[in-house]
Amino acid sequence: MYKYVIRRFLLAVPVLLLSSLIVFGLMRVMPGDALTALMAESGNVSERELAKLRKDLGLDRPYHEQYLIWLWQMVSFNPGYSIFTNEPIAVALKKAIPVTFELATLAMILGLAIAVPVGVLSAIKQDTPADYTGRVVAVSGLSLPDFWLGTLVITFAAIWFRWIPPLGYASFWDSPTKNLQQFLLPAAVLGFRLSAATMRMTRSTVLEVLREDYVRTAWAKGLAGRIVVYKHALKNALIPVVTIVGGQLGTLLAGAVVVETIFALPGMGRLTVEAILFRDYPVVQTNVMLVAGILVTLNLLVDLTYAWLDPRIRYR
Amino acid sequence: MPIDDRDLTSTQSQVTRRTFLGRVGLGGAVATTVLTGARQRRAQADSTTSYPDWIPPSPKPPKRGGILTRASEWDPPVLDPRLTNSVGLFQFACLVYNRLVRYPFSDEAANTTDLTLKGDLAESWQGSPDFRIWTFKLRQGVKWQNIAPLNGRELVAADIKYCYEAYAKEGVQSFTFREIEGIETPDKYTVRIHLKTPNVMFPQILAEVVAVIFPREVLEEDGDLKKRMIGTGPFTLKEHTRKVKAVLARNPDYWDKGRPYIDEYHILSTPDAATRTAAFRSGQSDIRWVASLADAEAIRKTNPTAVLEEYKNVQTVFGLALAQDKPPFNDVRVRRAISMAIDRQKQVDTIYEGHGILGWGVPYIYYQDKMPTAAQLGPYWQYKPAEAKKLLAEAGHPNGFETTLFYYEYFPQMSSQVQLVQLDLQKNLNINIKINKLDYTTFFGRYAEGKWDGMAWGFKTGYAVSLDEQAYQYMHSKSPKNYFRFSDPVVDELVTKLRQTPDKAEQRVITKKVVDREHDQVLRMWMPYDNGILIWQPPLRNIGALAMRRNDGYGASTFARLWLDK
Repeated sequence: MYKYVIRRFLLAVPVLLLSSLIVFGLMRVMPGDALTALMAESGNVSERELAKLRKDLGLDRPYHEQYLIWLWQMVSFNPGYSIFTNEPIAVALKKAIPVTFELATLAMILGLAIAVPVGVLSAIKQDTPADYTGRVVAVSGLSLPDFWLGTLVITFAAIWFRWIPPLGYASFWDSPTKNLQQFLLPAAVLGFRLSAATMRMTRSTVLEVLREDYVRTAWAKGLAGRIVVYKHALKNALIPVVTIVGGQLGTLLAGAVVVETIFALPGMGRLTVEAILFRDYPVVQTNVMLVAGILVTLNLLVDLTYAWLDPRIRYR
Repeated sequence: MPIDDRDLTSTQSQVTRRTFLGRVGLGGAVATTVLTGARQRRAQADSTTSYPDWIPPSPKPPKRGGILTRASEWDPPVLDPRLTNSVGLFQFACLVYNRLVRYPFSDEAANTTDLTLKGDLAESWQGSPDFRIWTFKLRQGVKWQNIAPLNGRELVAADIKYCYEAYAKEGVQSFTFREIEGIETPDKYTVRIHLKTPNVMFPQILAEVVAVIFPREVLEEDGDLKKRMIGTGPFTLKEHTRKVKAVLARNPDYWDKGRPYIDEYHILSTPDAATRTAAFRSGQSDIRWVASLADAEAIRKTNPTAVLEEYKNVQTVFGLALAQDKPPFNDVRVRRAISMAIDRQKQVDTIYEGHGILGWGVPYIYYQDKMPTAAQLGPYWQYKPAEAKKLLAEAGHPNGFETTLFYYEYFPQMSSQVQLVQLDLQKNLNINIKINKLDYTTFFGRYAEGKWDGMAWGFKTGYAVSLDEQAYQYMHSKSPKNYFRFSDPVVDELVTKLRQTPDKAEQRVITKKVVDREHDQVLRMWMPYDNGILIWQPPLRNIGALAMRRNDGYGASTFARLWLDK
């Protein structure tokens, strides 16, 4: 297994290198740069001053030099400074990562807490109103965009309850109550989408497993329905579900961009979107590489989970 | 009991999937009809709604204390006022810093268009007979905020000299401050500014919100002003976390004794418009600006005690910019034809629900008392498609032509405006426009570079109040802010003359000539613009919005006089 893990990590190197080339290239292909954006905010800056600023920031160097410098910064864990705000990127990330991490974790917990029981219920009550309701909810979750659902939730919360999550982010350690008030609603919005796909997958895999011989044997032994479903069927049905959940992580991070904007949370999503809009190359590149690294690692963890769920699986 | 298909079939109710989905679909259709009907009724009701355009200051004695909160769409790119004119910064920088002179606050203004200069750090000011030397007498006893390294030391004339020289040296205001030839400080409280050319409107330039006075110590210690904000203003910057909030606290040593009235002002970074509205509805934000009457009415319905003020714009900041240094737009007949082929009133009626202005560039308050009528804007601002077609044919384009238009969507209505213009020009002149919607950075880079072809949806910067900025700085052919790329010797001469004309009445006459020339030559093709609605919570006092100084943006310095009646 260790060999497998090491091999997977080594395979991640070309993946990350390719990602770095793509994001570096794409940022350079886009017209305008951070200084143009700063100029837009400013009203006007002379060409002479812009040229001086570009030189100071190394933006006048050939692309391959810029790429190699940035690559070295990434390898040495020193991503440099934001061109737009002049803030160290590490500082900006230190503030943004916990926000997105908390949002994604809560969304995942809420999503799974809804998806798995409803998916199982939908399977064991196939073609009943409960099943139809679950499936309609699942289809809604897949078809309703996050920005629409988020806007709807915050608008109606304000109209009906005169309440919205408190604005002005507070960390969990500073104010746990305020923090949870701020995160539960956005996490529910984000988790709803996640739960939809997971719910559908849980339903179909549980249905499939329920028809397996060993489940029939379990029923024949006279085991209680709860034990048959949750102990014998569900665990084996979870492998494709885990795969789906692993694949959803990218969607979750993409959804976080929108949800963080609607609920005014200063996470990675907002940081990245702002950096893209303002052509803040180092920030975008670092964020993309970070997300790529997280996704590679999480996918590895998902693969390793298979063995825990199904002891027959062996890694070579 | 084993579970399989047969068992489930035997236990299910009589509701089949088809009937279930059918019922859901029917319910959805009914709900949609009801909601749509409600929306239509509301829109019809809105067209007759009107709100006051001026809320006078409260006659009651002000109360001290309380926290003002505002959900804001803007974040400052940097804290250094030399490096940006962004509203994100000046929404609070104008409360931490002072200027030498300023425009009236809400409790001083006679009306929304009152632009009588008031002393801020200066007590009095006077120009030399040739208006090349301006002398400012500083207020005595003004102290910098009691924060290291200033520690409450007194503000003196040398501070002003240092600050203005720093602005001229580098940054976004260098063009403005390079007009200064030299600065003298004959004593601690006197600043004498020598200009390279006469300018009767120089004090107005110093009253612009971006001309704030910052301390030399911070710039010298840090090398920039990006980390600390220490001023002489009514509030200190207690906390600033990018994309979260800025917290301003009352400056207890403020030179204007007894002011400000509120203890703290919290600006909460809220990029989403629906969330800002929700924040107002839920009481988390005290102020909300909306462009649409329907939106204002919707808020009034959920918050019936909210106070609404109609904000009547005195100018447009967006319009059609043409590459008029190249064919076909260098032909005035083409520009006139295009202008006459655009139905501006239709834009006002449809896109702005009848609540907008037709569009002109120089604020009308600088040349007449009342908002211009369509007729006053001149013949080329009227919708005359037949004449437009004839004129375009005379210019050698009887069959129209193809061109491009690029823009950035500053607000949602803008895309509709662009499409209506495209439709009008296609229908009336057979001009086919290929629209290119760009992101902010791409748009600005291309627009400001000034080398584009075809058309752009152009703009002028939002903070400007002074006539000098509106005329000379935007319209002189040599100015870097001449974004509309026109070069007109008559305009150059008029805007230069305006700088040398001290008499207000004469200024108005010259300004009118500038405007008439602009409209006659169609140098900038201004488009309709909304009149917004400012909404605030009932306890707020002295918050009336002033022309060109919306108090949720560049006009926030008026919060030095705001108080909460709780």
